Amino acid sequence: MGDTNLSAVLYAEDDMRLEEFPVKDPGPGEVQISMHSTGICGSDVHYWKHGRIGDFVLTTPMVLGHESSGTVCKVGSGVTSLKVGDRVAIEPGVPCRVCNYCKTGRYNLCREMQFCATPPYHGTLTRLYTHPADFCFKLPDNVSYEEGALLEPLSVGVHACRRAGVSLGSKVFICGAGPIGLVNMLTAKAMGASKVCISDISEGRLGVAKTMGADSIVLVNTKDAKAVAKQVETALGEMPDITIECSGAESSIQTGIYATKAGGVLMLVGLGPAEIKLPVVNAACREVDIRGLFRYANCYPAALEMIASGAVDVKPLITHHFTLEESLEAFETSRTGAGGAIKVMIKCAKQ
Amino acid sequence: MAARNLAAVLHGKDDLRLEEIAVPEPGENEVQLSMGSVGICGSDIKYWAYGQCGRFKLTDPMIIGHEGSGVVTKVGPGVKHLAVGDRVAIEPGVPCRTCELCKEGKYNLCPEVRFCATPPIDGNLSRFYVHAADFCFKLPDTLSMEEGAMVEPLAVCVYGCQRGGVTLGSRVLICGAGPVGIMAMMVAKALGASAVCITDIDNTRLSAARSLGADHVLKVTTGDCEALAGVIQDTLGCHPHVTLECSGSDQSLTTGIHATRPGGSVVLIGRGSMQPAIPIVLAATKEVDIKGVFRYANCYPKAISLLESGKVDVKPLITHRFNLMDSVKAFEAAKDRNSGAIKVMINC
Repeated sequence: MGDTNLSAVLYAEDDMRLEEFPVKDPGPGEVQISMHSTGICGSDVHYWKHGRIGDFVLTTPMVLGHESSGTVCKVGSGVTSLKVGDRVAIEPGVPCRVCNYCKTGRYNLCREMQFCATPPYHGTLTRLYTHPADFCFKLPDNVSYEEGALLEPLSVGVHACRRAGVSLGSKVFICGAGPIGLVNMLTAKAMGASKVCISDISEGRLGVAKTMGADSIVLVNTKDAKAVAKQVETALGEMPDITIECSGAESSIQTGIYATKAGGVLMLVGLGPAEIKLPVVNAACREVDIRGLFRYANCYPAALEMIASGAVDVKPLITHHFTLEESLEAFETSRTGAGGAIKVMIKCAKQ
Repeated sequence: MAARNLAAVLHGKDDLRLEEIAVPEPGENEVQLSMGSVGICGSDIKYWAYGQCGRFKLTDPMIIGHEGSGVVTKVGPGVKHLAVGDRVAIEPGVPCRTCELCKEGKYNLCPEVRFCATPPIDGNLSRFYVHAADFCFKLPDTLSMEEGAMVEPLAVCVYGCQRGGVTLGSRVLICGAGPVGIMAMMVAKALGASAVCITDIDNTRLSAARSLGADHVLKVTTGDCEALAGVIQDTLGCHPHVTLECSGSDQSLTTGIHATRPGGSVVLIGRGSMQPAIPIVLAATKEVDIKGVFRYANCYPKAISLLESGKVDVKPLITHRFNLMDSVKAFEAAKDRNSGAIKVMINC
């Protein structure tokens, strides 16, 4: 069987197949990339198991994966920023560029956004992938392909910390010590936060957070949000200015409101049930602003600088490696968190 | 004899010719327009009178004009929001859309921006013109084509007020009562500014400003900027929060620095000398921020809303009208300080 472009294709919920997929030649402004590393995200796992996320529903077969890096192997006309051989990280969402959201710098909100592995757009768990050159970021020699693939979740951290107003001296509480909680913690510290407290229901994950720089940790074993908020205040020595909620759990978001200092911000990064009960009067009367986020915009350059300069080290997040052929096992590992899995990386090149 | 596509082409200093050119066809995401009205801007006058404007020099023949409105006559592939017959205001600068500045929303600063009538890019003082569809904004039926052409300078004023942080309760000093100064005043008031003081050296312009809503007008008769700042403070009853420099006079910039309240802003909309001597230490130690503007970004919809709501009425600013064939006369009227012109409009 020929293997020019083996890809992990999702046909329906619980029906992922490894098969040959057509290769697209790069058009004007595009580059073709020989894929190297693709990380698995909770959203990829969710599409695999449920065939949908909210209003995004899988209706036709779709290649999975969106956290990627690779090597440019073909260059389309008009491309001057990249050449064959360049190692790049791929920012997976390509907006329309002409609408108001795009022109005001908030292209993440573009309604015509074509995002890898959000139906119906194909993702990057493939051997060869074609993408607009301006959404491919050249990796300096000291940044590995895997770190390049981590720029995607790291950008979520950058966007969250920017929207939350993290700055010098900020006291930040992060709910959830999974990969997103961890990249938020790293980013907050890189932006000058003086203290970060992180919470989770898993001792193992909290242990990793501690080694990666958390100033304090809180093990959550109750749904009493007010009680957990008190624990956070004790752990930090004061109420946090900013809470970045990365778990999506109702009780955790409630905790975020109670915990945050008056005048502060609660960032909702984690996504859970569509509707939850929230103590809004508590938030409103204390001017605790509740802000959401959707992916990121204009964050890749800053994320890349953080890694290239050594301001953050994301390598400890990568715990497991699989080949493209082993995608099913990779997804299962990511889904269960078996073996202390944090970020599972898939090698897309022919081994 | 009516030429199919007549255009006002600037060949060099003082050499504006009406010539027949090809009718352009719209490509992907473009529309073809039958031009309605095109206003003359100070920059157009500079290209005509001097062959250059600031750091931009005219080296080849170029169609002049960038403050335009038109009617859609053809729609290119991919265009969904416009149809033949739609009346639009044309935002003249089309950026690359792929660079960091574009993606951050600051497309006015895109190094590859193609701006009408900034060499070497042709302008839109012609009968037919093609433009990127997403930079053409539908005009409500209640606005005329001339008002559509005024959206461009109005957008400059919207952007300047935004950069200056003009808001409810602001007290604003505006230096220069030309079209930009007067429209900046209108925008400032629409934003909730509580008082606006306008300065100028010309009585006619000052009375126009007064009749169009300025709370205070001041004739500049001294070169003593600090003293003038004192008079402004007495007139307004306080130091202004924001100064919008709309005259291009170095003296006004210095006056603005003296007059503005600590923590305020001076916005440079007018273009003066490249390297004026200014009291920078004074500005710095008062935390008076000096902010430049380069055209505008994402201001056309706001400018159109202002006109549509009636909060701003720019019609009184249009003092002279000419046909396309009489473009040279139009430029002469715009340049002549004795013509009494505020905005000269050319109807295509």
